[in-house]
Amino acid sequence: MSENNEFCIACRSIGSGMFLGYFLREKRKVNLGKATFGIILVLMFSLGFGIGSNGELLNSLPDVGLSAAVIASIAIAFSVMFVKAVKRSAGLE
Amino acid sequence: MIKYILAALMLGGVAGYLDANWATVVNSVWVSDYLLNASLILLLFVMGVAFAMDKDSISKIRRTGPRILIVPLAIALGTILSGVVSALILGINVVATTAVSAGYGWYTLTGPLVSQVFGAKWEALGFAANFLRELLTILTVSLMVKVDKYAPTASGGATAMDTTLPTIVRYCGDDTLITAFASGFVLSIIAPFTIMAIASLGHVPIPLFL
Repeated sequence: MSENNEFCIACRSIGSGMFLGYFLREKRKVNLGKATFGIILVLMFSLGFGIGSNGELLNSLPDVGLSAAVIASIAIAFSVMFVKAVKRSAGLE
Repeated sequence: MIKYILAALMLGGVAGYLDANWATVVNSVWVSDYLLNASLILLLFVMGVAFAMDKDSISKIRRTGPRILIVPLAIALGTILSGVVSALILGINVVATTAVSAGYGWYTLTGPLVSQVFGAKWEALGFAANFLRELLTILTVSLMVKVDKYAPTASGGATAMDTTLPTIVRYCGDDTLITAFASGFVLSIIAPFTIMAIASLGHVPIPLFL
């Protein structure tokens, strides 16, 4: 869901969920854990499906795979380090 | 828990490959687009409900306020710097590699954008590097949460607002929802601008080109 016009769909889904959750607050506890995990598995399956059926991506991996892995790993490492460094100033415990 | 996630991901990968290369049972768009988006919309909704039902998470956000924006900015800065480091390690074009990194995991955007400036070879790298960032975030979330509660958010980059958000919240707790979502949201907004801004440096001659 990484297209500009789908931004609002993501915000609307999460926003309407929060709206509903706010009113459900005083009601008895609803356990959403199992349902969420089930949907996560569907999401992972469809993500995998997208990768598996994307011939262009799979064909490019032997050529650019190593460089891509280096770029991605270093990006992750630096992002984590930077967030750890500013965590306190961002008010996160 | 992670083993079920990996199994679902791999099963999807095999199914997608077989569907595309052997026998087409379903139109791949149905799964990789419609089913993906439907499950994502439903997940975001359910996570919104869970978040708002927890009184503590809202008071935490109130305490943090706009300072939360420091997180995506730190991720952006870290990622851009990582592009320079990666290019030096790999011995490739610094500007193009940094532009590739500046997609923050948004591969469908980065590939086409960098290819406009640097050519088709970089499209594949832009796509693969950012796609791997998303994949690695999902695969390592259970390890990364031990390093730091917000490490998976940092790792997810722009994808922390959608595809990696469910896994992040699952492992890091409902109270990370807003931080992760806000961070992913800000990074998604700035990604096209940072990619193009960095790419425009490509016209500057040495020492930026290796």
